[in-house]
Amino acid sequence: MPQRLLTSYPLADRRFDELLQAPLLPRAHWSRLFRELQGIHPQHMRERIQATERQIRENGVTYNVYADAQGQDRPWELDGLPLLIPPEEWRQIEAGITQRANLLNRILADVYGGQELLKSGVVPPSLIFGHSGFLRPAHGMRVPGGVHLHVYAADLARSPDGAWWVMADRSQAPSGAGYALENRLIVSRIFPELFRDLSVEHLAGFFATLRDSLAHFAPEGDGAKLTVLLTPGPYNETYFEHTFLARYLGFPLVEGGDLKVRDGKVWLKTIDGLKRVHAVLRRQDDDFCDPLELRSDSALGIAGLTECARRGTVLIANALGSGVLESGSLLGYLPQISEFLTGEALKLPSVATWWCGEPAACAAALARFDHLVFKPANPAYPFEPVFGQDLDVAKAAAFRQQLAAHPERYVAQELVRVSQAPVLNRDHARLNSPDIALGARAVGLRVYAVASPGGYTVMPGGLTRVAASADARVVSMQRGGGSKDTWVMSATPVNSSFSLLRTTVTAAELKRSGVGLSSRVAENLFWFGRYAERCDNAARLLRVALARMVPDNDDEDAVGPIMELAHRFGILGEAELLDPQLIEASLLAAANRDTQLCGLAANLRQLARVAFNLRERMSQDNWRTINRLLQDPVFGREASIPEILNWLDRAITGLMTLSGFALDGMTRDTGWRFLSIGRRLERLSFTTLSLQVALREGQQDGQQDGPRAGKSAGLTWLLRLTDSVVTYRSRYMSRPEWLPVLDLLVLDEANPRSVSFTADGVCGYLQKLETAFGPCGGDLLAPLLARLAQLDPAVDLHPQSARLLELLEALRAAVFSVSERLATRFFNLADGRNRAMLGS
Amino acid sequence: MPDNAPAAPFMQPARYRVSHETRYRYFPAVSSARQLAHLTPRATEWQIVQSHRLNILPPPAEYEESQDFFGNRITRFALEGSFDSQSVFAESVVEVLPHAPAPAAPAPDWRQVRSACAEGNALLRFELAQFSASSWMAPALPEAADYAMASLQGGGSWLERLLSLSQRIQADFAFDPAATTVATPVLEVLALKRGVCQDFAHLMISCLRSVGLPARYVSGYVLTHPPAGQLRLIGADASHAWVSAYCAELGWVDFDPTNGKLADTEYITLAWGRDFSDVTPLRGVVLGSGSHELEVSVTVLPLG
Repeated sequence: MPQRLLTSYPLADRRFDELLQAPLLPRAHWSRLFRELQGIHPQHMRERIQATERQIRENGVTYNVYADAQGQDRPWELDGLPLLIPPEEWRQIEAGITQRANLLNRILADVYGGQELLKSGVVPPSLIFGHSGFLRPAHGMRVPGGVHLHVYAADLARSPDGAWWVMADRSQAPSGAGYALENRLIVSRIFPELFRDLSVEHLAGFFATLRDSLAHFAPEGDGAKLTVLLTPGPYNETYFEHTFLARYLGFPLVEGGDLKVRDGKVWLKTIDGLKRVHAVLRRQDDDFCDPLELRSDSALGIAGLTECARRGTVLIANALGSGVLESGSLLGYLPQISEFLTGEALKLPSVATWWCGEPAACAAALARFDHLVFKPANPAYPFEPVFGQDLDVAKAAAFRQQLAAHPERYVAQELVRVSQAPVLNRDHARLNSPDIALGARAVGLRVYAVASPGGYTVMPGGLTRVAASADARVVSMQRGGGSKDTWVMSATPVNSSFSLLRTTVTAAELKRSGVGLSSRVAENLFWFGRYAERCDNAARLLRVALARMVPDNDDEDAVGPIMELAHRFGILGEAELLDPQLIEASLLAAANRDTQLCGLAANLRQLARVAFNLRERMSQDNWRTINRLLQDPVFGREASIPEILNWLDRAITGLMTLSGFALDGMTRDTGWRFLSIGRRLERLSFTTLSLQVALREGQQDGQQDGPRAGKSAGLTWLLRLTDSVVTYRSRYMSRPEWLPVLDLLVLDEANPRSVSFTADGVCGYLQKLETAFGPCGGDLLAPLLARLAQLDPAVDLHPQSARLLELLEALRAAVFSVSERLATRFFNLADGRNRAMLGS
Repeated sequence: MPDNAPAAPFMQPARYRVSHETRYRYFPAVSSARQLAHLTPRATEWQIVQSHRLNILPPPAEYEESQDFFGNRITRFALEGSFDSQSVFAESVVEVLPHAPAPAAPAPDWRQVRSACAEGNALLRFELAQFSASSWMAPALPEAADYAMASLQGGGSWLERLLSLSQRIQADFAFDPAATTVATPVLEVLALKRGVCQDFAHLMISCLRSVGLPARYVSGYVLTHPPAGQLRLIGADASHAWVSAYCAELGWVDFDPTNGKLADTEYITLAWGRDFSDVTPLRGVVLGSGSHELEVSVTVLPLG
């Protein structure tokens, strides 16, 4: 019985109710869902809701409000109940959106072409010319296929009489389609039977159309057509969506620095050189796209992109300059524009909107002050929406005065009492309430259209945005709102066999290699490997060094070489080395304070930074492991030696976990090889350095006791450092001696930390790269590896061996040269930072 | 006699050779630069470009001449390969015909000009809207309107009032290259009472836009006069900027608020737009971090 579900459901107050047509009486198209809800056991419902939340966390669906490298992303808010739209109603929305997308595309073509709308005065010229989104350098450009507007979104709301209205147009780089898809993947699993029985229209076809249409419209030349998705980077609020869509559509995710203009065309910088880009699906605002011609203060863009757009050598979706339609100042003119350009009346009306830059419209708007919300007309002059009814007499007068000074910066829009829709009451889900109860929230619907060769195609669904309350006046993600899946019900059975995830791939299209890997990603992977290993080295070194500080330490090791190594590693300065009082404090700081630049904490920060830049390629597990280390209770705080030693154990375990992910969880592709080379080079550098320091100490001991004395002042620290204590003890029952220790750490090809194993690994990876990309440094290491093989344990494995010392020195030098070689060969292209120059 | 009187000296056409060199030094060397130049004088009814060349060293890998949105001539070029210095040398021979109205020429009241601009036919409004609307560097501002009104309120024609405004800017503001940068907003210049020609041009444009009069920013050069008895120093000139304002009866009239006068045959026009950012003589982007030094030398040489 409906009462049970509706106990806390508020009656709609002068607004449309999506669910009920009369108190306690659901609308016809909701009845099936309503019955289902009544039939579900509350416990099962709770489990389903909890499953939703878990899935959002596990999929890493986030919306960054305060995006930063610390991972303060906000989980995506999704209500489990979809918004239902019956077929006949959807057909009207679809027709209206198709017409509107066409119209907006024609407006863009006119504004960036003949400007008849402005010359005739149908649109006040100052509306466009005074708008910061009108990009003069984009005027006269040739857009491929005549399409400016590839992806269009409209924000719809339903008024109390049940009619849908357009509140705003999104013409620049509409967001949310990816979230709509993610919502669908989750919600269709909460109600699988219902999803099938209600014949809900599928979304995959829309995305296939987007992918295929971009390829269709993109210009030809220089190989197979390549579309990239351009993101401003991980700090953007919808970065999750960028990574999700890039993966779903199969487009490389790139930042401005990954692209380059040459010979009037756009190219992607890959480790294999420049690859022609034919289409750019951009999520970056257009004025940030080209520091040369658009905003010179932007370091993000691609210098020369505008020129390529003008020549028509690249498709940019949406075209540069399309943001000029977004501010709402045009809404009031659309009926007459439509009449002028197409002779048609608008099928889907806009909410009454006035651009205050036109005196007559401004006067009309001010007369209805209390019924309006004022919004910015120009993104160059932003402000928070102002509700006329909220202002007292004095504030209203002050606001009117502000408006009078710059009327062209204001748009006034009629306040709409938007509809309310049912939501699952979360509190009931969490508490062990015996019943499911529905709440109500104000909702808005964002719908999408994509340009295809046959005209605009509307996504049969959309992103339902949910306000924080039932009577909210603004529905916005930025203001703490949530979302819903949108189920467009089909009048005919839906073909459920189609999904983009199960698209047809021919054998020729199988992707196995990393060709196309961008230089930036390759460089980040390389440094991820290096920093992960460097953290591990720092943690082990600190653990050995700090253990020496504990009074009951039973090691017979000399403290000298350990501190010398800490000095060479950068953890101890000259001053500390001479003053034992300072050593302890320095070592502690190196462990958990990121102010100590060569210490563990600082290197963990670097690791996190690199990982952040690689987020689209890193699994959530990697990310979680790193975050857990950075959020460790001792991180950055005062701590005792035992506390720090415990922390070092946790850190080493965490770092081993990361290493395990790389070993076991990553495909052995080119990217993985860069990561592995970085890791091995770092290890080679550390192991050779440790051996050099130990051998030097051994020389001094040896000089006192005569050459080739078997005695050593304790080598356990060296074994600890290289995680080889257990192996050593299992092989030799003696205390560590030079010959077996050096054999284990230098020559033993089975010890993953030996010089021989590490160098051999680097050589192997380099050879793999070289078969694909030509020489890249293998020749620097191969001769050293040969010399290593020629070492004679009986002759060369002691501290006085010049051959051994020379070889270790040469290996350490080779680490630098190989690194340099890789940077020159693969990463230099990655330096994409723009610097603007102005000359008077 | 008046009919046969020789024209006043400023009524003669004038010819100039203008050279404008920009040198960059990069630390460290850079491998890629992409630039856009507004260094070719614009041909107009009263300005004849007799010759022009642009020498770029090292030679650019890409080079293209075209027109910008405002009809100015622009050059785009790109350099590839490692280089630590760069030079862009523009040389033009230009003849400028007299075109400024006499200061006492008949002109309507400025309010009539404003009404004519606001209420003219759609096409005129379309053409003027570019230059009436606020731009980023020369916005309409209540403070600029206040400053302008002090000059506009007096009697006399649009021409006299605007000339008076430019003279007042010259008198009120000190020329001080250290006081501002290319990014200093008009409002700050108005408070500082100091700046350079760009600042004064932006200020006067803001003043005019604030009261509903269209105005555009002109980039170019002005002939300087060496102190009596001294030779002209090569390279000691600079690029200049001034204001063009619209009056239906007189067309576009050029005012130089830096020198407080009408601009005529001593002025060589490169390009015009809404403000400096539309017509920056040379702008560019290099790839990579590091720093650069910039040196500009300009010579305006009168030819016989």
